[in-house]
Amino acid sequence: MDMAQALVMGIQAWLVIGALVAAVFLTIGIDRIDEDARGAYIFRPLLIPGVLLIWPLVLWRWWQIETERAAWADRYRPVRAGHGTAAILMSVAIVAIVIAGLTVRQSWPADTAPVQLSEGGDR
Amino acid sequence: MSVKYIPVQWNPNKWAYDAIMLAGVAAFLWVFLYVTPEALSHERPINPQIHNARAFGACAFVMLTVILCIGPLARLDTRFLPLLYNRRHFGVMTAFVALTHAGYILNWYFAFSSSDKYVGLLYANASFGQLAGFPFEVFGIFALICLLILAATSHDFWLKFLTPPVWKRLHYLIYAAYFAVAAHVSLGILQDQQKPFFTLLFVGGTGAVIVLHLMAWRAGRTAQTVSKDGAWVEVARATDFTEGFARITQLANGDRVAVFLLEGKLSAIANACAHQNGPLGEGRIIDCLVTCPWHGFQYDVRSGRSPAPFTEKVPTYRVRVMGDMVEVHPDANPPGTFVEPVPLPPAPDPEEPQPQEEAPA
Repeated sequence: MDMAQALVMGIQAWLVIGALVAAVFLTIGIDRIDEDARGAYIFRPLLIPGVLLIWPLVLWRWWQIETERAAWADRYRPVRAGHGTAAILMSVAIVAIVIAGLTVRQSWPADTAPVQLSEGGDR
Repeated sequence: MSVKYIPVQWNPNKWAYDAIMLAGVAAFLWVFLYVTPEALSHERPINPQIHNARAFGACAFVMLTVILCIGPLARLDTRFLPLLYNRRHFGVMTAFVALTHAGYILNWYFAFSSSDKYVGLLYANASFGQLAGFPFEVFGIFALICLLILAATSHDFWLKFLTPPVWKRLHYLIYAAYFAVAAHVSLGILQDQQKPFFTLLFVGGTGAVIVLHLMAWRAGRTAQTVSKDGAWVEVARATDFTEGFARITQLANGDRVAVFLLEGKLSAIANACAHQNGPLGEGRIIDCLVTCPWHGFQYDVRSGRSPAPFTEKVPTYRVRVMGDMVEVHPDANPPGTFVEPVPLPPAPDPEEPQPQEEAPA
């Protein structure tokens, strides 16, 4: 239970930080780094869920653009090389998990009458 | 295309695409809920919440399977490209369907205890050390988070902000999500199936995704081109070019270059569209502008620039003709750099190769 509670609290903290980042980025940052966003406000609420989920990536890119650290050619370099690897890994993993799932599948008589194993508590 | 952002870019084709998609989702849910209970092992009494949860879960699986089939199908056969154009709307809808599935599960199985339902979801089954009875919920949670990230970052802003390569890498999460869904189903509902219909549907769907992806991967590997003289790369023979179309070659670093023939002259630009890295070389030239087959972005093939008022730019490359062979230099020029087009020899003579002048950068 402690671990589960800690995980839920961690997720809540992640989302709270994301909300703070979203508030700053969507009101100040976006106008500084993207000319197409200047004067465009209606689409900005659509970006909130994305910032909540990947706010570290947002901060990293924001910093990269502000400091002009990214090489121009990087933008035009498709990542096809990784596509085959991803497809093969996915395929192998799916085959393995489906076989594993079918292997451990159990069958039992569907018409077995239910049996009460212990006394019920007082109402 | 580099104008002020709007929430959703609609056009008649997208309206039709989305209408068909929504009708398909409604039809699937109706068939699942009301037409096929026996085929889906629902002859045993289950309450509406569980029935709805299963319907939306199965629908999300089928939608995700279709989404993952569209990409390789479009690579194997260009007739499937129209299915690719609006796939982002398909993905967003899938995320909502999966979220509905999760909502039904959460608000039925975990909503009636004194503890928080989210804590209950993570705490109820902790048998991580065994395959039978493994907490398959974690795979579903992971897949749902992936789908939400993909849906939440589907706006064009994210493409420009993250850059297409980073955006694409982020969206590789779709493969991890699909594996997680397969694991979620294999160790979850598949354990409870007494009838073969759902099992066959599931194995058939995942099998189709695997076969198509491996076929597309094999097809892509055959398009390798080797660098010549350590620099210039052969693209194709002069006779292979068709007016208004391109030949595509792959450089040693993995980048692809599209060499176009326009009014008898050759121009080369990066094959990756600045929008979503779509294959510009598969587009056709109209009025000096090549149109990306994915989303309609346009570029002047001589300069790599979109027409005003748009501001997209792609890198250009130098071209030369050696004998009857068209070659391209692998060093890309900065995006938007004008390169003088190189005339294509009118009648190649294999007996007497006549090298032509190199185009200025």
